[in-house]
Amino acid sequence: MLTTPERIAFLLLALASLLLTLRGVRLIVRAIGRGYGRPSWGVFLRRVIPVSLDILLQRPIFRTRPLVSLLHAGVFFAFVFYGLVNVLDLLEGFNGYSTLHASGVASAYNLVADLLSVAALLGMLGLLLRRFGLRPFRFNRAVFLLPSVRFGISRDSAIVGGFILLHVGSRWAGQAVRIAESGRPDWSQPTASLLARLLGGLDAATLAVASHATWWLALGLILVFLPYFPYSKHIHLFMAPLNLILREEKPLGRLEPPVGNGQLGSARLEELRWYQILDAYACIMCNRCQDVCPAHGTGRALSPAALEINKRYYLNRNLNRFAGGTTSPPLLETATSRAAVWSCTTCGACVRICPVGNRPMLDLIDLRRSLVFAGDELDPNLQAALESLSRYGNSFGKPARQRARWARDLPFPVKDARKEPVEYLWFVGDFASFDPRMQENTKTVAQLFHQAGVDFGILYEDEWNSGNDVRRVGEEGLFELLAEHNLAVLGKARFRAIVTTDPHSYNALRNEYSALGLDVPVYHYTEVLAELLERGQLRPSKRLQAVATYHDPCYLGRYNRITAAPRRVIRALGLELREMPRHGENTYCCGAGGGQIWMDSGGQERPSEQRIREAIALGEDVRFFVVACPKDMAMYSDAVKTTGYEQRLTVIDVARLVAWATGLIELEREAAPVSE
Amino acid sequence: MTLAVILKQVPDVVEELAIDPSGTDLDRDSVSYVVNEFDEHALEEALLLREATGEDVVVVGVDTTGELDQALYTALAKGAQRAVKLVGDVEGSWLSTRALAGLLAPVIRELSPRLVLTGVQAPDDLDGQLAPTLGALLDWPHTGVVVGTELADGLVRVRKELWGGIMLDLELATPAVLGIQAARATPRYVPVGRVRQAMRESTIEEVEVETPVESAPKLSRLRAPEAAGRAEMLTGSPSDVVERILEILRARGLY
Amino acid sequence: MAERILVLAEQLEGQLTDVTLELIGVARRLAAPRGSTVDALVLGEGVSALAATVPADRTLLMEHPALRLFNPEAAQRALEAVARETSPWLVLVPNTSLGMDVAAAVATRLGWPLVAYCQAIEERDGQLVATSQLFGGKILADCPVGTDHAVISVLAGAFSSEAAAPEPPARIERLAPPAELDGLRVRAVGLERPEAADVDITRAEKIVAVGRGIESKENLELAEELAEGLGAVVAASRPLVDAGWLPRSRQVGKSGLKVKPRLYLALGISGAPEHLEGMRDAELIIAVNTDPKAPIFDVAHYGVVADLFEVAEALQERLGG
Ligand SMILES: Cc1cc2nc3c(=O)[nH]c(=O)nc-3n(C[C@H](O)[C@H](O)[C@H](O)COP(=O)(O)OP(=O)(O)OC[C@H]3O[C@@H](n4cnc5c(N)ncnc54)[C@H](O)[C@@H]3O)c2cc1C
Ligand code: SF4
Ligand code: SF4
Repeated sequence: MLTTPERIAFLLLALASLLLTLRGVRLIVRAIGRGYGRPSWGVFLRRVIPVSLDILLQRPIFRTRPLVSLLHAGVFFAFVFYGLVNVLDLLEGFNGYSTLHASGVASAYNLVADLLSVAALLGMLGLLLRRFGLRPFRFNRAVFLLPSVRFGISRDSAIVGGFILLHVGSRWAGQAVRIAESGRPDWSQPTASLLARLLGGLDAATLAVASHATWWLALGLILVFLPYFPYSKHIHLFMAPLNLILREEKPLGRLEPPVGNGQLGSARLEELRWYQILDAYACIMCNRCQDVCPAHGTGRALSPAALEINKRYYLNRNLNRFAGGTTSPPLLETATSRAAVWSCTTCGACVRICPVGNRPMLDLIDLRRSLVFAGDELDPNLQAALESLSRYGNSFGKPARQRARWARDLPFPVKDARKEPVEYLWFVGDFASFDPRMQENTKTVAQLFHQAGVDFGILYEDEWNSGNDVRRVGEEGLFELLAEHNLAVLGKARFRAIVTTDPHSYNALRNEYSALGLDVPVYHYTEVLAELLERGQLRPSKRLQAVATYHDPCYLGRYNRITAAPRRVIRALGLELREMPRHGENTYCCGAGGGQIWMDSGGQERPSEQRIREAIALGEDVRFFVVACPKDMAMYSDAVKTTGYEQRLTVIDVARLVAWATGLIELEREAAPVSE
Repeated sequence: MTLAVILKQVPDVVEELAIDPSGTDLDRDSVSYVVNEFDEHALEEALLLREATGEDVVVVGVDTTGELDQALYTALAKGAQRAVKLVGDVEGSWLSTRALAGLLAPVIRELSPRLVLTGVQAPDDLDGQLAPTLGALLDWPHTGVVVGTELADGLVRVRKELWGGIMLDLELATPAVLGIQAARATPRYVPVGRVRQAMRESTIEEVEVETPVESAPKLSRLRAPEAAGRAEMLTGSPSDVVERILEILRARGLY
Repeated sequence: MAERILVLAEQLEGQLTDVTLELIGVARRLAAPRGSTVDALVLGEGVSALAATVPADRTLLMEHPALRLFNPEAAQRALEAVARETSPWLVLVPNTSLGMDVAAAVATRLGWPLVAYCQAIEERDGQLVATSQLFGGKILADCPVGTDHAVISVLAGAFSSEAAAPEPPARIERLAPPAELDGLRVRAVGLERPEAADVDITRAEKIVAVGRGIESKENLELAEELAEGLGAVVAASRPLVDAGWLPRSRQVGKSGLKVKPRLYLALGISGAPEHLEGMRDAELIIAVNTDPKAPIFDVAHYGVVADLFEVAEALQERLGG
């Protein structure tokens, strides 16, 4: 029981603390409110319960790092429970209600509190050790960091870690003191009782002082800490769940149009959308996103984590002014660099991995939009590609009329879907249409469809680039132009479904075009091939006795979760499939996405080369590196050469394997595999 | 003061070009048009000059394609201040350089710019390049193959490329006409959004012009050159092959 | 009628350019059957020695300080005055950086027809026909040339320069410069020659390009030697640059530089589309590759299916020996 002066002191302190904290929170809310758009309450109501459950189960964080996640779970469960503990302790301080030596539910509560205290103390020590002892916190040297970040992160960790240790430690010690005061161990609090035995020799007066002191250390500390809370990364306690709850269930592959009136894109913090500012508050600075980022992994200047952290530290330092509405400096001075913005492959790995639902990639795309719109100098190759796209509808600088040239070499005519109805409208894609290496493959797909009796047609020169990567490069107007054209042409053609050979087109057609009014089923060719094989419309006459690994394209595997169909095809051919560590939705980017295929990455090892090494590490007997994306074919047939593994590993499109198994082609070009 | 940039749309040589049955023109129905790539450089150079001196940039063109608006709006979106379109009964026709210069000269004189910039040449200027032709008609100093400009009081300093990297520095009293080979920077990219914005927000001035009497270049026939085809294979021992290679080099004055 | 053909001789710092001899060769060929005479106009200052090597029937020499360096206005005035004076039925001007400034302006001022980008002049059915390259060389235009004044600007390298070797002309006539040369609005300030030190492959006339067929960095030396022997520079496909064997400034292709040399000798380059993008416009492409199906042979003018080392060594022997 507290003395009356103590009570008054506590209440006054609580009032001051709450007022200060509230002010901080209000500033944050105002800061977030400066972003474009508003959260939807409908979404909140729909998601609050399921997402809260997810969070209680700690599902979002268990995607990687099992050990660290376990430690986090310890701290988290302790924290939730400690909410209750603190309330009861408060009661005890004010009216003497105590669960000491109680029985029944109260003793169960005691036991949990006792054990959790120790778990939390150990967990916290472990996390602090990791942060300060092992120092896993690293950025590439080229990554832009605000000067305050380097020191700030450690200080924040130290403050919060220290607070938790002190808070939990005092509470635990306080219980021990009270047990000691009572003169006998409380068996529902075994660890505190153990500690109490050490205190046995102390006299009653000392114990009384200690009881008050520990109470104040445990609960008063909260009041001191509370105003700091909005500036600490531990505000993620509230912001992360909020972020997860308010996140609309939109496909990752559907971008929102750029914000801004006339000035397209986001160059400054306040030009982002509200949830992109919230991201900075939700971020727990765990660097998981950086670990999976192919750009960071190949030594480039991009770290999605650094982006969020910089945003947050900028806000921390300038919260008053920012919340008050002053124009902030460009993000390229406070959050990231041009080089970083242009190294994103839009692979989406950062978005998928982030435990708190952040989407750093969107910031990068919005930054690109603003750079493009402002006429910032572009990579010359990117510029050439964009110019070609707006002139010819393809990035190859080739006349549109040459798009279907590959079809001329086929022994049968390919239907013109603009002129006659077809079942499948085949959206071929730029690379598959124009790249001479890929045309062979495209012909193979056509022959397979033909062999299987599929009724298909193409749009000839009226198919333009889908604009998927154009949009991600930030050239929204060109995307619109391409999409408008394609939608108009598709609108006039008669077909049941679209099939495409290109995952990037797949994403655009399925996620972007559907938002613009396209309402037809879209399939990837591997889905169609799998079905044709399973229905017996394609009959393998040979079995491929070899080990293969399969690379999931980002825009297929991660963005659209098409991971089973290509594997069904590979297995149907008799191949043994051996997975790379990063596969399915966790696939690793080939480095070509987001317009990177048009830019010069310059010098360092490429993601595609790392990927080839990943495949090589699967064993000597892996013979095929199977791809299902024309861009992958370009990237990996190059990477397998530059890494010097072309003798060991054959990069091959899944369709070529099918065609070989059905006797349609010989694999002389790719070196014949062992067959039965 | 202003800088006038003359833009001309020409058949895109990336596309397959077909010859009209008359044999004296391309099949204009199958042609697609682009702005002469050197004119793009002329515009870029003008915009760079504008950035340095604050001149207004006026783009001028004769609409022979019915599609010139697109090119003019693009130029406005890139940063030009005005666009002037010469219209008349010239759509679909192949204007000779002299006819083109004849149409442009009075309009340019009226604009009284400090400089006229246009592409050093065009894929279809059979009767000579526009800059010297227009320069002669206006009786203004002119030069072509320009790769750099700098405006000074009453004159323009230009860098003209000769060959093998040799540069000639000239000073021309203004007003002058320049044929630009390459701007100091790659012609800038203009996002489609900006072009659309220009289409909404700016207007193109139109000037009615008389159709010239003899407007097409004089020629008797167009034809395709003989196809080059695949490489001619040189066979034999290494020394035979080397002998043949040296012969080929010698014939071309390369050895 | 059919009296004179006037050739504008092109000189830079007292050096006659090759194209001048090419033009005089054509002029002579056209003059002979018509009984015309060939006049060559030499413009400059202190170039009388040079005038004495121009192999025309009559070399017209005009000297003036404004003509020392090339000055487009001065040259145009001079040619215009001479053309008015001598009234040739045909004026031949090189379609070079210098000639381009002059030809169209003089033709316009005289009101004479002009045929530019001419690569061939032939007699067809009693009619003289000049053939021009248009539309990036994709189309040729045949243009009738009358005998009543015409100007033709001729592409450098289109005709053989062997038809006319430097030799003293039959006659040298000194012409007084027209008065306009004293009141010019164009001033030539100076010439700048490229520094020899830094290699700019986009400007190189000859390129020896190597690809992965070269196998190792050490073997690059062979390419360097070969390049030296040929007066060429070494360029490479991307993998070699990636490997750090050569600086990025030597990379040809999509992500490298686009080159357009007069000779591109491709050794051990497969001809990936990204590579072809950067070099397919070279005037002469000779490819050496062990693989007869290598796509480089689709764009090359001459191909050799052989080991590049054998060919390079044999070539080196001939060049060095
Ligand atoms: C987005 C992107 C951009 C790219 N940009 C470029 C670029 O700008 N420039 C570029 O060059 N590449 C670029 N590439 C790479 C390109 O795809 C090819 O990988 C590369 O051009 C191949 O180089 P190469 O011809 O030297 O090697 P290879 O393709 O490996 O060819 C080597 C050739 O040498 C021949 N050979 C081997 N030994 C010998 C011998 N002893 N004698 C004769 N011949 C021999 C072989 O038959 C083979 O044809 C790019 C790739 C991508 C995906
Ligand atoms: S989308 Fe991919 S490349 Fe871009 S920041 Fe995220 S992880 Fe990195
Ligand atoms: S953005 Fe997400 S994954 Fe990246 S550091 Fe922040 S919390 Fe971690």
